Formats: sequence, structure tokens, C-alpha cells
Amino acid sequence: MNTNFDVIVIGGGVVGSAAARELSRYNLRVAVLEKELDVCNGVSGHNTGLLHSGILNEGNTLRMECCLEGNAEFDQVARELDVPFKRCGKLIVGFGEEERARLETLYQRGIESGIPGLQMIDAARVQELEPNAHADFALYVPSAGILDPFLYTIALAENAVMNGARYYFNQEVTGIERADGLYRITTVHGVFTARWVVNCAGLYAFRIAEMLGFPGYQPKRVKGQYAILDKKTGKYLGMPLYPAPNEYGACDVHVTPTVDGNVLVGPTIEQIGDGIDYSVTQDMLQVLVRQGGKMFDYAKRDYYIRNYAGVFPTILDPRTGKDLDYTIETKPEAPNAVNTVGLNSPGLTCALPIARRIVKKIQETEPLIPKETFRPTRKGIVRFAEQTKETQDALIRSNPDYGEIFCRCECVTRAEIKEAVHNILGVETVSGIKYRTRATMGRCQGGYCETRITAAIQEELGRKKEEVLLNQIGAYMFTGDVK
Amino acid sequence: MLSKRTFTCIVCPNGCTIETVCADGAVKSVTGQKCKRGEEYVTQELIDPRRTIATTVKVHGAPWPLCSVRLNRAIPKKDIFRVMDAINKVELQAPVHIGQVVIANVCGLDSDVIATKELPAKE
Amino acid sequence: MENRDVVIIGGGPAGLAAALELKKGGIDDILIIEREKQLGGILRQCIHDGFGLTRFGQTLSGPEYAQRFIDEVLAMGIEAMTNATVIDLSGDKVVTAATPKGLIQVQAKAVILTMGCRERTRGALAIPGTRPSGIYNAGVAQSYMNLFNTMVGREVIIMGSGDIGLIMARRMTLEGAHVKAVFEVLPYPSGLPRNIEQCLHDYGIPLYLSHSVCEIMGDKRITGVKVVEVDSAMRPIPGTEKVFSCDTLILSVGLIPENELSLAAGVELDWRTKGAVVDENLQTNVPGIFAAGNVLHVHDLVDFVSLEAEALAKGAAAYLKEGPLEKCAIEVGMDAGIGHIIPHRVSGTKDFQISLRVRKPVGKCTIMVKQGETVIASLSLPKAIPAEMIQFPVKAEKILTGERIEVSVHVK
Repeated sequence: MNTNFDVIVIGGGVVGSAAARELSRYNLRVAVLEKELDVCNGVSGHNTGLLHSGILNEGNTLRMECCLEGNAEFDQVARELDVPFKRCGKLIVGFGEEERARLETLYQRGIESGIPGLQMIDAARVQELEPNAHADFALYVPSAGILDPFLYTIALAENAVMNGARYYFNQEVTGIERADGLYRITTVHGVFTARWVVNCAGLYAFRIAEMLGFPGYQPKRVKGQYAILDKKTGKYLGMPLYPAPNEYGACDVHVTPTVDGNVLVGPTIEQIGDGIDYSVTQDMLQVLVRQGGKMFDYAKRDYYIRNYAGVFPTILDPRTGKDLDYTIETKPEAPNAVNTVGLNSPGLTCALPIARRIVKKIQETEPLIPKETFRPTRKGIVRFAEQTKETQDALIRSNPDYGEIFCRCECVTRAEIKEAVHNILGVETVSGIKYRTRATMGRCQGGYCETRITAAIQEELGRKKEEVLLNQIGAYMFTGDVK
Repeated sequence: MLSKRTFTCIVCPNGCTIETVCADGAVKSVTGQKCKRGEEYVTQELIDPRRTIATTVKVHGAPWPLCSVRLNRAIPKKDIFRVMDAINKVELQAPVHIGQVVIANVCGLDSDVIATKELPAKE
Repeated sequence: MENRDVVIIGGGPAGLAAALELKKGGIDDILIIEREKQLGGILRQCIHDGFGLTRFGQTLSGPEYAQRFIDEVLAMGIEAMTNATVIDLSGDKVVTAATPKGLIQVQAKAVILTMGCRERTRGALAIPGTRPSGIYNAGVAQSYMNLFNTMVGREVIIMGSGDIGLIMARRMTLEGAHVKAVFEVLPYPSGLPRNIEQCLHDYGIPLYLSHSVCEIMGDKRITGVKVVEVDSAMRPIPGTEKVFSCDTLILSVGLIPENELSLAAGVELDWRTKGAVVDENLQTNVPGIFAAGNVLHVHDLVDFVSLEAEALAKGAAAYLKEGPLEKCAIEVGMDAGIGHIIPHRVSGTKDFQISLRVRKPVGKCTIMVKQGETVIASLSLPKAIPAEMIQFPVKAEKILTGERIEVSVHVK
């Protein structure tokens, strides 16, 4: 295994994958080291899946700059990478005069920051836009949108690999040394060397920063819990509904449609300091039911199909005591290292703008030569469920595997599962297949298709039963044969 | 000396609650059962509890890796795991037919292990 | 597009029985569509015995029970298309199915819904805790073990005392796993008493009633569960939390009729059964669409599934031969002691069968069927439990008015 690279990106989340993709535009040998078995396992995969407008961010920050840039370009990005995206807009709804004043403040700040199309609207207009919303008035933000965080990150990573980047999974970084102008990166399973190192480690960015010589970042993490509602509810919600900011300026639980037609309720907000904890708790589920139900009638227990939690990598800014702004930095004492920290929400929206700024940091030191063969486009797995009946028939006739439904809730075929199993990134977990195809994500949560998917992993990749993993090393599915 | 015992009959889904009274090892009364099979069941249960078991055996050359099997007569409860061990040693070759004897007179307990699934040979 | 008299969606016990009875009733143009590669439905994995006592007077395993129907279907020349999944059903009875040969569309005169049910999942219950591997629904574990030769775990906790969970407790024990306990949140078991006896007691597996799994632990594979005792209102009792280590959690917490296709066709559902609202012919609100078996309401025994599907065939055959069935305007209601009831509407001119479950276990009781103060049918029972479906006939001659029918439980 050749382990010498021009640039090593640490972290295969949305930012790391965007960085790998943007770096793959140049004549560079690029590698991504990821501690998990797939991309998008940390903060990138545990959030609301929103293309943010910037309305909740303060102006004159790098966060806002990246958000506006990322928001404006996303229609084209989604086309290039063939990922689902809807620019559906969003409503921040309010009741009573106090909330009206808070929304007016947000509106003014948004106008000053240059967020396009903002409107304060009355109850009648709210009803027109979103018949199932409850509100006296609302701030309408037409530039907001929804996307699939997994498919977007997967698309960035696949496009990077198509253009020559390499992904190494199960490679948690344990040490970084610099000698003879090269970085020597030790992981739990090997040693890699590179001329440049880019820190995109998300929740662990502060730790990698310290290894690279950027010490002193204190994590002050926030945990948010979510519930996912059955697709039956999707038709009742066209765009995300946020409550007006509370007295501390934060928005409580919101309801957000997903590109697949489910609805997310959440997140709750809990400060958890420097720990990481993805567990969901009874009390917060009750908060979700209560607060979600206030804005949206269908946020009911009956429609819950699953719950999850996200942890956001907020860093405390020692100077202001507030959340640290996005930080993309280099310094002479740490040559050829690009450090990023504080990349929390809206990280999905900002990933490509951040990636371009990372590239620029490298260009400040050395010229990069564009690669002639770079292709910015990538095709996703064709979704049988979303095709017309004529196309479905044509697909089956071209490949009989399309005629075999593996996941009946989401109508995913054997052909799609096979394509996912043989993905270019080399991912082979049940969750990896789930995020690529939606199989097991429906109301039966794998009751019907999981046996088929695990059988496909065994057959297609020649794995033993004990080797089939849910999502990570140690998360084995089976103990072996019965007989 | 009188001894009372309560049973849940397992013969049919009714699951009758059956009360028995025994004196000096002899059954004095059986009450609560809806049918005669209940009485037979508890009488047997008092002297020698018996069960049938159902499991699988490995099969070669079929579209599925396993063939389901069961006992055609109940065996003493205490012998269940001994019979499981015997069944676990057997492998079949497709085709397999329902009722096919997989092990005759298993462990000498006067019960046969029979196949309960039709498995054609793989094309 | 192909035309058919009847399309039966699902080749499990209900679909097979309906097909046979239709054929015997003189309907020849029948197509069964089955998504698996073999007929038989869920019975293929139910290898334990106890099936067929009512229907055949003997105790069979699931595959044997199913084979009897399959053999007859084949012998009678009924067409069954396997490895074909219905992906759409329209209100005007166009059935669309994906098959490896292409998408097929069939215009049916009548459609029989026999899609069965699915298991309630962890997500629907919103059990707090982490999301490790090693959590299986009982039916999924049964499929892995009995069809795929795959052992899901060794140190097992079972949540919920539904019948499949009890059956799996015994099944896993026989295959060398250590089933440590079964926890049921209700003060009484959900499964049948005989299964408590022969699946738990026989193997010394403890059943804890009024206990709820309140947290799942483990980051990679499940390492344990936290369990708490609940009071009569099902509220956790503080201080009673206990941790049980395990590498596997089996959920047996209820079944839900699989009605996504029914909804697509505009079939009205009952929030209690989560199955279709039907009349005495088991016809839904969409004329010509009928439902029977677990897609209509969850049954305790497959024998009753077969019998219900056979009963359906009479109405469906009449619909095909004579046109629209008589209007059913008399509603059937129930009191708080009853969980759900089938049918929801009757004509008053035909004898019909009532199927119901009580909401809570009761001792000696009488189920009364009344119109106003007039008792039109009744059934006395030594005991009644929610785990058991109760069925009895009602005679049309007793129904003298168009007044609503009320069914109630009277405990003595």
C-alpha cells in the first residue's frame, strides 16, 4: 500500500469530503483518513438536513459568508453531484407581540446580511404557504432548502475518488509528527505520510488541532435529539417550520420535511460539555412531542418511526465567551497544515465554500496545477421508486434485478442494493447500504429487507456471517451459523 | 397427604387452567379442562411430562440452507437436549419431502424426527 | 394490460385459502401474486408445531400447514405468480407488480387483500438509549434462524410477551442461547397461556410482568438493557431500575396489519385494528376489494386466518357473479371492554361471524350482542384474555330492525 500523499485530509465528514473533492481538481495525491467505516458518521450525519439561508447567523462572520455562498450555489452543486435537493423555503413562525419583535429583529439582521427574498407575512399568507402550520405571523425565508446529508457527503466523497482521491476507513489518527518536511501520521492501523495535512475532524477537530500545533480549543458541545415521523406525514408539510427565537435567541424544536417525504422533529438542545453521547432519553422525547405538536398537528407519537441524537462540535471562543466563528487557519509554526475548528451548523451548507478556502490556504504557499481530467459530475444510484411506470418497466427489462423488490416500504430493488454494495468507496456495512439506498429506513425498519441485505453482503463480497457489521467495528450482526 | 397443582394445558390454544388434587401419588380430581385431552395431558404431566420439539437440520443442494424438522411423538421432557444433540449431527441432501424420516426412533425414545418442509433439489 | 376476475395480493395462509374457496365456488380466473420465491407466507419460518388443530384436527408445523394449501392450489390449477411484488393498487382495481420479467399491470374485477402484517419496531416505541447492533424483532430473528441459518446472538433478553417472542425464547434456547428473561410492560402476558407454559416455564425462563425496558445500552453491539417496574398506570416506579447484561434484545411488542397498498386504493382503515373497515362479506368501503387474515386484524391462530379467508370467498364470488353486494347499513359498535371487532357493518339479512378481542383479561363473562335492549346473540365464557380472538355467529333472523348493533362484555 502506497501511503505517501501530497495532502492528507483527516475526517470523512461533509467538510473533509468536500475538501477532498475540491483538492482533487488539482494534480495532487489526496487521501482521506476516517476513523469510522463510512463517511458522514459524525456531526455531518446527525442533524436536520437543511440548506441554511443564514437567517439564524450573525452577520460579518466567516460562517455567514460561507453560508450565503453555499446557499446560492447549491442548485448547481445538486445537479453536478446528482443528489436530492429541494429549495422549499422555510417559515419562522410566531405568536404575540413579543415574538413579533424578535422576528422583526431577525428580519432586519437578515436584510443587512444580504439574505435574499425575506418577507414578514401574516397568518393568511402562512396558511396559503403551509396550510398545516399554526402561527399568527411568520418570517418567510425562501432561500432555505432541504437535502440528504448522507447522500450529499457520499456524493462528494465518490466524486473525489472518481477524480483520484483515496479513502482509508477505520483509521483513527493517534499521532502526528513532522520530520524532513513531511508529516508522519500514525493511525490505529498504519502510518501515512504527506506534505500537507488538513484537519476536518469535526467533533474531534480540537484534538487533531492540538496534534498539529494549534492548541487551546475547548469543546463546548451541544446535543440535540430528534424523532423521525412516518412518510404518511410528509404530505402535510411543505417546508420547515421554526418557532420564533426564545429569549436567549435560540430556536426551540422545529419540524422539517426531508427530501424523502418523512418529517423530522427536533432538535432539543442540551449542553454536554466535552463528552459525546448519541443516546436518546425519555424526557427529551416528551419535549419533542410537546414542542413539535405546537406547530404541527402530525408530530404525534403514532407517527414516530425512529429517533436519534446529534452532537454539534461547538468551540468556546475564549475572547468573547460565545461560540467560536468558523476558523480556517495556517501559521508559520505549523507549516503545511490547514486547521479548521468550530465548524458546526450550517456545516452542510458551508462545506464547499470551506473546502475552497482550504484550497486557497494551500495555494498561498504553493501553486496548484489544475488536473485536466477532473470531472465535477457524478451519478447517484437510480431510484426505482421515483421512476414512472414506463421507466420502471424499461429498467427491469435492462436488468431483471430491478424487478426484485428488497425493501418494500421504500420500494428499493435488488439492483440498487447491489450497486450500493459495490460502491466506489468500498463501504460494506448495513448502514452504509441503508444510507445509499434508503433500504430499512421505512416504517418496518428493516423487518422485511434486512435479511436480504445481509445475505447480499455475504454473497456479493464473500463475507462470513460473523463479519457482517451494522455500522462500525464491533457492531457485529450475527454470532455465526445455527447449524 | 393431599397435594394440589395447577396446570396450563398446552394441548390446544384454549390453554385451559386445570387444577389437580393428588393423594398418596394417586390422582383424586382433575377440574377446569374443556375437553378430555386436558385430563390426559395433566395425568401424563403428573407422572412423566412429555414434549415434542421442532428445529432444523442442515440441507445440501437445496435453495435454502436448512430444513425444518419435528418429532412425530412426544418424548420425555428431560431428554429434549439429548435429542437436540442427535438432531444437530444430521445433514440432509435435497430433495427433501414432508414426512421423510430424518432419524428413526431418536435416542431410542420411540419417536421419529421427520422433515416438515418440501425442499426441491437446486436447479 | 391483462384482465382478471380476481387478483389475490399475498400467497400466505389467507391468500391460499381464499383462492381455493373461490375456485371451489366456480371462479376460475384467479391470480395470486406473492413477493417471495415460494408460497406460504410467514408460515415458512414458523417451524414449531401447533398449527391446524381447528382446521385439520391435528397439530402441524407451519410449513406443513402451508403445504397442504399449496398442494391443493397447484392441483386445482390456480395460477400463482411468485417473486412478484405488488407496488401499487388503484381504487379502480388496477394492480401493478414488479417482477424480474418486467412491470405487470392487471385490471381485476375483484381484489383480495391478504398481505398479512408487520412487527412494531423499536422506533415506534421510542425506547431511549443508544443504537447498537443486536436488536431484532422476534419475527426477523425467527427468519434469520429458521430460514437463513443465521444465529443472531447468545445472551438474550426479550421485550414483550407476544407469541412470536415466546416461541423465539424456546427456539433460541434449543439452539444453545441463554435467554435470561422476558419483560412485559402490561400486568398480564400478551401471548397465549400455552406458550407461556411450553416456551418459558419448560425452560426455566423468567417472565417479569409490569416491567418496561427503559434504556438500551452499548455503543457497538448491545451490552445490556435497563429495566424498570411500572405501576398500574404504566408509569415507571423510581428506584426499581435494574440492569441486565445481554448481547441480543428481541422485541415482541405487537403486530400491525400491512395496509400501505390498501391506503393507495382508498380503503378506509379502522384505527383500532389498523386494518380495513369491512362489512359482513369482508368487503371494504371500495366495492370489489375484500380483506382477510392478518391484514384485516391480527389473529392469534392461523386456523382462524384460513377460515376467515374462506368465508370471504363466498362474498367475493357473489360479487363476481351477481354484481354489487347488498348494502350494509347497520353499524356494529362496541363498549370499552372490547378492543376491536370485525365486521364493522352488516346488512341484517345475512348470518355473520363476529370476531373480537377483549381489552383486558376478565374472568367469567358474557359477550352480548344487542340492538337497543334486545339481545340478538351472546356467548358465555369461563375467561377472556386479549391474547385470544373470540368468534361466534350471529343469526340474521334475530336482526329485526336497522338499529345499530352494540357488542359488550359483562363480567360476572
